[in-house]
Amino acid sequence: MLNIIKSGVLSSIQDLGRVGYRHLGVSQCGALDPIAFQLANLLVNNAQNTPVIEITIGLAQFQFTAPVNFAITGGDLSAKLNGQPLYSGWRYFANADDTLTFSTSKSAQRAYLAIQGGIEISEVLGAKSTDIQANFGGFNGRALNANDQLTFTPCPTPLSRIGVQQPAYTNEVRVLKGPHCDKLPDGAFEHLLKTTWHVSELNNRMGSRLTAKNTVQHNTTIASQGVHPGVIQLPPNGEPIVLLNDCQTTGGYPIIATVINADLRLFSQLGTQQIVQFVQSTVSQAYSASEKLSAHLAQFTLAKNNK
Amino acid sequence: MTDKHCYLLGEHTIVFTLTTQNPARNAQRRLFALTAKLLQSDAFFEVVPAKASVTVYLKNPQDHPFWIAKINALWDECEVTSDTPTTHTLTVKYGRNFGPDLTALANTLQITEKQIVELHSSILYQVEFIGFLPGFAYLGTLPKALQLPRKETPRTHVPKGSVAIAQELTAVYPSASPGGWHLLGQCDTPLFDPLRAQPSVLMPGDQVKFMPSKEGLC
Repeated sequence: MLNIIKSGVLSSIQDLGRVGYRHLGVSQCGALDPIAFQLANLLVNNAQNTPVIEITIGLAQFQFTAPVNFAITGGDLSAKLNGQPLYSGWRYFANADDTLTFSTSKSAQRAYLAIQGGIEISEVLGAKSTDIQANFGGFNGRALNANDQLTFTPCPTPLSRIGVQQPAYTNEVRVLKGPHCDKLPDGAFEHLLKTTWHVSELNNRMGSRLTAKNTVQHNTTIASQGVHPGVIQLPPNGEPIVLLNDCQTTGGYPIIATVINADLRLFSQLGTQQIVQFVQSTVSQAYSASEKLSAHLAQFTLAKNNK
Repeated sequence: MTDKHCYLLGEHTIVFTLTTQNPARNAQRRLFALTAKLLQSDAFFEVVPAKASVTVYLKNPQDHPFWIAKINALWDECEVTSDTPTTHTLTVKYGRNFGPDLTALANTLQITEKQIVELHSSILYQVEFIGFLPGFAYLGTLPKALQLPRKETPRTHVPKGSVAIAQELTAVYPSASPGGWHLLGQCDTPLFDPLRAQPSVLMPGDQVKFMPSKEGLC
């Protein structure tokens, strides 16, 4: 068992998310950083879509009741095993009764904890991710609480200690121009690019609202249409909302831009008050960026298997 | 000829949209027919209809030029289906503590509570699309006499099963949620269950009729 002593700000079970039910209003959910998620599973030799714990901000504490290998990836939330510092992107071994803690960090926001063999979670609508808004999936359809107990298969044999280079987290986010720019005031998209934005307190798994001194206000309305993680909506007050994995399936605010798929993971680490700078990209650059991340995963898989 | 526009949104999403925000019933039925055709293809991992558009998510993003042309061609081939849509009859307990906004609505709209119930249950509504919450079906079109803006301050808790109206639409909340619509009554029919093979009772294109229950105002 993994005992949840303290769940911290928000800890939840996530995999790569729910696919195929958006027409019924079901959100994607899933790990906000799918690369960190996959690296965590690779480190402990898990199948690709094994559910892990996504830890937000930190202040969480877990206790192993049996020995097992585990990995932590994502942002560095100053994790410690029995008080000994651990590093993000590494595989470790825990003995029975060991305590794993996450404190906090100024620059990082989310970490991933993968347990060798995975945590026992039932699939709901094809995924094991928690849909926190709709209350299904994951552990009892909700975020983890103190005193919850997660089941895993113990493994008394420590694996060698290995680590992986994680792709860097930056504040520079590449975007593609959105479809409603010609309906917005002139220069709204250029303003989005040249402004240094700050992440407001309104940031969670559904989306991040951004603020700046000068915004482009408008009264443009569009008919509600399908939206997805990465869409940047511009509400009338001019403060952009970057939609993330738990976002609704349809939305009625004009779409000023979309974050390229490869860069959406950056928002997993952008907390309140952090700076975001958008840079215009092209569709072919977006595809190359995704291929580069896939290659990173493939290279690590190869290197690990040849050890 | 209906004006339309088909474009790449981001890098793996294609939107087919009518240029009007309020399509005529026939144009909307043609959109449902297009949606049904797109749902049959295995090229997409999601097909998401909305009131005046359908959005598809490509498994192979690089195929987008082919699919933009193909979807335009499919639209031209689409005819309004003559199939009779599925009709659901939902029993509603109107007013009292089932519909906490009914009395205020009667004052605002300058009609009686009974008239609101009669008007609301007189229409055969169409599921225009599903969004906001799992299984939350936007039903149109509400009689003109019942149309009014959302509440200025949304409720932090709207109970599961609440029957509500806002603008030209009505809906039943499939689960508890915050919400800014006016609450008329309560419907006990479960509308969304993630553990069922077909989790949502209401599907785009279906029709819905409300039946006043004797337990409430009728």
